[in-house]
Amino acid sequence: MLSVIGVVIAMQVQLPPGDQSRQAGDESSILQLMLIISTPVFIGVCLFVVYSALVFRQGRTGLVDGPPSYGNFRLQVAWIAITAVIVLFLAAIGITQLGSSAQATNFTAAQLATAGSTPVGTSAGHELQVQVIAQQWYFTYRYADYGGAESLHLVLPVDSNIEIHVTSTDVLHSFWAYQLGVKADANPGVDNVFYVTTMHTGSFTVRCAELCGIWHGNMFDTSGKVVSQDDFATWIAQLQTDEADVTLPPYAPAYFPSPRVKGS
Amino acid sequence: MEGNRAPRVGARLLVVLGATLGLAALVAGFVLGFALQFPPTLTATAAQTGPGVTIHLETVAAVSEAIAFPRPDDPHPDWVSYLPTTMLKVPANSTVTIVIDQEDGASGLRNPFWSKARGIVGGTFHMSYFDDNGDPQEGDFSALDDASTLGHSFAIPDLGVFVPLLGISDAAPAGSKNVITFSFQTGKPGIYRWQCFVPCGAGSIYGNGNAMQTLGYMGGYLIVQ
Repeated sequence: MLSVIGVVIAMQVQLPPGDQSRQAGDESSILQLMLIISTPVFIGVCLFVVYSALVFRQGRTGLVDGPPSYGNFRLQVAWIAITAVIVLFLAAIGITQLGSSAQATNFTAAQLATAGSTPVGTSAGHELQVQVIAQQWYFTYRYADYGGAESLHLVLPVDSNIEIHVTSTDVLHSFWAYQLGVKADANPGVDNVFYVTTMHTGSFTVRCAELCGIWHGNMFDTSGKVVSQDDFATWIAQLQTDEADVTLPPYAPAYFPSPRVKGS
Repeated sequence: MEGNRAPRVGARLLVVLGATLGLAALVAGFVLGFALQFPPTLTATAAQTGPGVTIHLETVAAVSEAIAFPRPDDPHPDWVSYLPTTMLKVPANSTVTIVIDQEDGASGLRNPFWSKARGIVGGTFHMSYFDDNGDPQEGDFSALDDASTLGHSFAIPDLGVFVPLLGISDAAPAGSKNVITFSFQTGKPGIYRWQCFVPCGAGSIYGNGNAMQTLGYMGGYLIVQ
């Protein structure tokens, strides 16, 4: 009875990170599923603790050994089987979800040197490529499909498949767009690819999730936006005009800093 | 055992207490020493011409080479630095004009994106500088053409302010400086970090160490109140 009430309550709870993207929605539903499955287990354990405390408490009589206990084969099989099914089931859906939204490519310095202006991968036609460049201490964003224009803030069109390429120009950072359900390592020389399918317009927060130096704590931006397709077209056209006077390097999967000690 | 002595609990307790207090004092001293090593605050003065306030800064290749703002007792005389300090106090909702004597050579940017000025009044900064032949020049700019010519940059990311600072030309006479002047608008009160985007920490890997990671050298706070 308590378990049923618990499960009903668990089904009503709104869990983070919400549903701004399909991936974020998937994460929320997995968390909810885990909450629903674990609620009866949690309530069962609590009830057993209370039951034991009441029934098996030491009475007025002296301390006596209880009757010897032996293995119960059916009980043992049952608890191992039920636990195994729950754990394996949760592991399977977790891994499936993780695998569907992430893939990483490592580049050697030689490959990067010859990469030149060749865009990453082949154009799938329906995916918007956005590169996240982490540096001490700011994230900038390049739009490969729009002449490699670079922006201070991440703006994405709604109802789109976004292919996010995360890299770093210096140390290890981590790109964490909380409401989009993306947290991806930003490592120098690595092109870390993630997919986001935007579902709703609204703003999101970008943070660095890897201790990266003195201003790590300030490396966040609350003005990330998912906007309508029309607004995105207007915004990207304006960006290309505004940034016309900056000479950027050709778009590349990563900007590998030759490791060096400055001033030596 | 003959003459079984009572354990000297009092004496042992005294030793343990003493050691604990000593350790606590050491830790407190370290933390306080670290916290009190905060750079001094510079308050902006009323602008001589035009509205708002002004702040005069100097950037040097090494603290010991300062011209306008020497810092003789600095623990790191060979580090690059903004001088005299990096704690800047300015009024809210006003125009702040920054004048920088840029005396350091070029280090170059890793991301050329930062070679453009952003978030400043009029979109341009005024600069008197020395060209490749060492001749003095002057003009208004919205960006530097070559990202490898930057000595430093002045950036307050949360206010959207980013300004590239041209490194002093190798051909310029010794002891000369580029003077960069720009203005930006402050909004509501708050404390904003500012930093340099040129990896200029000489002697550290990628140039992102020492001065880049220490308050009072290549980063600090803009206190808007």
